[in-house]
Amino acid sequence: MLPFTCRGIWRAAVHTLRTSRGTPPCRLLSTCDGVPPGLADAETIFALSSGHGRCGVAVIRVSGPASATALRCMAGLTRSLPPPRAALLRSITDPQAKEVLDRGLVLWFPAPHSFTGEDSVEFHIHGGPAVVTAVLQALGSVPGMRPAEAGEFTRRAFQAGKLGLTEVEGLGDLIHAETEAQRRQALRQMSGELGHLYKDWSHRLKRCLAHVEAFIDFSEDELIEDGVLNQVDRSVCALQAEMERHLKDERRGERLRSGVQVVIAGATNAGKSSLLNTLCQRPAAIVSPIAGTTRDVVETALDIGGFPVLLSDTAGLRDSPDLVEREGSAELGKGQRLVTWVTTGRTWVEQADLTLVVVDCAHLPTDVQQAAAFLQGHLKSVLQTQEQPETALPADRYLLVLNKTDLLPEDQRQKLDRELRQVSGLPPVCLISCHTNEGLQDFLTVLHSNVKTLCGDPLSGAPTLTQARHRAHLQQCVAALAQYQQYRNADLALAAEGVRLALTSLGRITGRVGAEEILDIIFKDFCIGK
Amino acid sequence: MLTKKPPVLQSFLSLVFRRASHLARQQYDVIVVGGGHAGTEAAAAAARVGAETLLVTQKTNTIGALSCNPSLGGVGKGHLVKEVDALDGLCGRAGDWAGIHFSILNRSKGPAVWGPRAQLDRQRYREFIQSELLSTPRLTVLEGSVEELLVTEPNPEEPGHHRVTGIRLANGSHPISASSVILTTGTFLSGSLFVGQTTSPGGRIGDAPSSAGLSHTLRERLGLRIGRLRTGTPPRIVKDTVDLSLTNLHPPDSHPTPFSFLNTHTRCKPEEQLPCYLTHTTPGVDRVVRESLHLNCHIQQDTKGPRYCPSIESRVLRFPGRSHQVWLEPEGLNSDLLYPQGLSMTMPPDVQLRLIREIPALHRAEIHTPGYGVQYDFVCPTQLSPALQVKSTQGLFLAGQINGTTGYEEAAAQGLWAGVNAARSALSMPPVALSRTESYIGVLIDDLVSRGVTEPYRMFTSRAEFRTSLRPDNADLRLTLKGFEEVGCVSSLRYQEAVRVRDGLQNALAALQTLTLSTHLWRKKLPDIGMSESKSTILTGMDLLQYNDVSFEMLASVFPECLSPYMEFSQRLNIEAVYRPHCDLQKKEIERIQKEENMTLPQDIDYFSLPVSLSQEVREILDRVRPSTLGAATRLQGMTPAAVVNLLRYVQHTGQRGRRAHRNQPDQK
Repeated sequence: MLPFTCRGIWRAAVHTLRTSRGTPPCRLLSTCDGVPPGLADAETIFALSSGHGRCGVAVIRVSGPASATALRCMAGLTRSLPPPRAALLRSITDPQAKEVLDRGLVLWFPAPHSFTGEDSVEFHIHGGPAVVTAVLQALGSVPGMRPAEAGEFTRRAFQAGKLGLTEVEGLGDLIHAETEAQRRQALRQMSGELGHLYKDWSHRLKRCLAHVEAFIDFSEDELIEDGVLNQVDRSVCALQAEMERHLKDERRGERLRSGVQVVIAGATNAGKSSLLNTLCQRPAAIVSPIAGTTRDVVETALDIGGFPVLLSDTAGLRDSPDLVEREGSAELGKGQRLVTWVTTGRTWVEQADLTLVVVDCAHLPTDVQQAAAFLQGHLKSVLQTQEQPETALPADRYLLVLNKTDLLPEDQRQKLDRELRQVSGLPPVCLISCHTNEGLQDFLTVLHSNVKTLCGDPLSGAPTLTQARHRAHLQQCVAALAQYQQYRNADLALAAEGVRLALTSLGRITGRVGAEEILDIIFKDFCIGK
Repeated sequence: MLTKKPPVLQSFLSLVFRRASHLARQQYDVIVVGGGHAGTEAAAAAARVGAETLLVTQKTNTIGALSCNPSLGGVGKGHLVKEVDALDGLCGRAGDWAGIHFSILNRSKGPAVWGPRAQLDRQRYREFIQSELLSTPRLTVLEGSVEELLVTEPNPEEPGHHRVTGIRLANGSHPISASSVILTTGTFLSGSLFVGQTTSPGGRIGDAPSSAGLSHTLRERLGLRIGRLRTGTPPRIVKDTVDLSLTNLHPPDSHPTPFSFLNTHTRCKPEEQLPCYLTHTTPGVDRVVRESLHLNCHIQQDTKGPRYCPSIESRVLRFPGRSHQVWLEPEGLNSDLLYPQGLSMTMPPDVQLRLIREIPALHRAEIHTPGYGVQYDFVCPTQLSPALQVKSTQGLFLAGQINGTTGYEEAAAQGLWAGVNAARSALSMPPVALSRTESYIGVLIDDLVSRGVTEPYRMFTSRAEFRTSLRPDNADLRLTLKGFEEVGCVSSLRYQEAVRVRDGLQNALAALQTLTLSTHLWRKKLPDIGMSESKSTILTGMDLLQYNDVSFEMLASVFPECLSPYMEFSQRLNIEAVYRPHCDLQKKEIERIQKEENMTLPQDIDYFSLPVSLSQEVREILDRVRPSTLGAATRLQGMTPAAVVNLLRYVQHTGQRGRRAHRNQPDQK
């Protein structure tokens, strides 16, 4: 028990700093098994600190005791931390998958010399949504880390006494603005179908909790109808299933917000960059007939039929281990981003929502049957990973684009077009010529319908998740409901705790639920005396 | 503890009390007004803390009377009894002395929500409380009616702020002065009794109404916001006239579990316990209620009654056409009455008789005392500090139904805490607070002072956010140590026992942790348990205890040399093993809340002129409720994160100034 003497905020803040400084960061990973008690109170938070949307450099800020851990495992710093407050160029890797996400600057701010007064880390990375999302997700997988709430960095800075009085003057307004924005955003979402869905869940969870609580607090003295708990069992099961289904929405809502990842892949010199340029309707990538010109990944934001698309052009898939020169980066136009290409384009293909496999028509065998077999083989070599060679390819995630049709005789082009459509086992095939724009309209129609399926039509069907934050809270909610199932027969107090935690998690999206609200439901649904 | 208590005769008691009244001094540290559950705990606690204490009550022989139901504890309420006992209060030991039917409610639902409960012998309960007060050093009991509460004129520097100076009795002309006064007037503050269409002033049938002077002082001189609530009690039924063969017998636990951490057994032997009887209402009951509504004054008033202890009238009106449970409870070992729990009613006595006779088991029952309703004033508890002191009046403390609560246990808990703080205030010690993260008492007081009440407040386990940590079994570890070391309301005898238990539990848990075996070996030692872990996994004794079908007794039989010394703690260890992982998860949240609760907001803030950015709406909320801590402020409905940050800034800013100004003074809350 903490003593009840008033310490005031200053001392509380100093206490936090001491605990966060005085312990080797490596210990913090093991928060679950027997960490000294004082440490558990400070959670480590992270968030994108630069503005949302496209920008050159994105800054992701981490603050809290696990910052050093995050820095070590994401920047490959196993031995020592970098010197304080000095920029260091590192590869940023996903600590679970061990794959490189980006190459960027990392800065280490040990407490108390940081914005928040806590141990802090900044990652300065490339600003594309794909990179930012990947790094944020990787951070979320580090134990003890959670996404920051609106204004939380500022609030921590304030609590640590890091803000001067003049800075503080504006703080209330700032937080107000931030939470206002959050509220408006939430309102916008809440008034839609998604809002109805979450409110419905919250309502049903509230009733579940009220009924369990009624059973706990009143069933010994009162007539709580038989089967109240069985009804809760059924509701919890149903809710769990619905939430899981919702979480398995293939990220459609998030895609709608941050864009569908479309990757152009194919053999070197098949015309991938030409396709990108054609789609952008302006010269975007360096286009040249020499094999291997494109060695970087170029990301371009496109609007296809009203859906946001992030188009990436990859280097030809040759598995070449050599590193690339940064040639030509200065000539990149606005809206495009150079992303360091460290390993192989396969990573991109694996993470893409949709892959456009570009094939040079001139390389196709003239016999149509043989052409189909050739294309199947080609797809395998381009798309299948080394780790999972036997994985079946989901056909809806690929489009075959046969380029340079202008080099084929007219009759053969028509024959190919006609017959390849009837071959089973091939993804949709589009014949185009980036040179003459022949077939482009048909290709765009196919692309549009694919993107639309991936995003889900926002005007119809089941509402989808729009925010990674919602996803995290819903996942916690589902996990908490599992606790109900686990303890249902052994210990009803712990089972109820599961429903309560679930409601708290959901409440972070829909609003907090107080004890009084639960009691109101109890007294509405049951006749309680004594 | 239990066996030492001598049975005390009523006449002897009255004599001693009366003598005490003649010897009454003119000056005390603490005066307690009222001798119910709140008053007795308050007086005893104040005396334990070290204050010269005077308890004033209208009738000394009703001290410790159970005005309503003859029972103590239950789900949530039992938690409060255990906590009051852990702080060395009276009601737990009184329950063990007077109980005639013990049972643990919710036995099948997990130890965090077990509800220890007992039916009581009214006579024995009163005896215990009275003799306990009599033997408490520094405590004097005086029979008399309080005419007036004495307060100073408002402080010119702080308009509206008074200081209590004492009381004046109705008969005596001279005032009795004190630094602290605790009002525990229950339903007597402007109380009115209702039976049928007749109304009379009073707080309990058979007792004189309290003086109007007290109510007047609170309302007019101190300017406190007063509300009105109602409650009721059922008719008492002559046991011989009940056809018990038409009821379901409800036996007690075969092994009574005492409330008190100091007792290993109850006074009542297992085989001496009496049963309860369960019966149900019929459509005839509904009919009588409807037909007599026009004769029922109480039910027509729109005063707020308790939703969870409703009269039979409100049950029938809210849930028509249903059959409601009626428990017939014994009133004592030698009592010839039964208490019909669930049949609280306020219709005219002849209609009451008609109503109960609609229930088959009561078809020829006779009523000994009719049921009646009570309406009474309460002081809106948001005007109190977490120490239960009226914010605007130094030294004036309130506890029990006067704060809008219902129930013996809720009253006892507040009484104890008000007694502690009234004594500390009188002895110039800083106030102490109990957090909602460490006790149900803390939940109760925080709910009252920071949210207020709209209907009589009763404790439920669902009100406690940290229910899995605040269990009846660990109340001693949560409160007894603190009660001795920081609060000063716990005897050293009890403290030593709690230390012994704490050390024993710690050693036992350490011993369990060091017992490490592979799953394979565990299976060999305990062949009957189902373990899903793979063979090579190493499990500790603690891990094993988390299995449903493993108990400490089983482990002790396998490892007698290291575990048998701890057999007395076996049940607590079984519980601890299952709950500890969950409690560890809660710790983080608990510490965050405690940090916010350690940031106090000055009581004299003028929220409307506070030079920080707060919306008018938030200022109004803050001004109305005046939260004592930042933690309480964040829990207010309508508070925004921005407002909390701005308040934080204020706390920080004034905290700095305050420290500079009072550098050489001790830290005060």
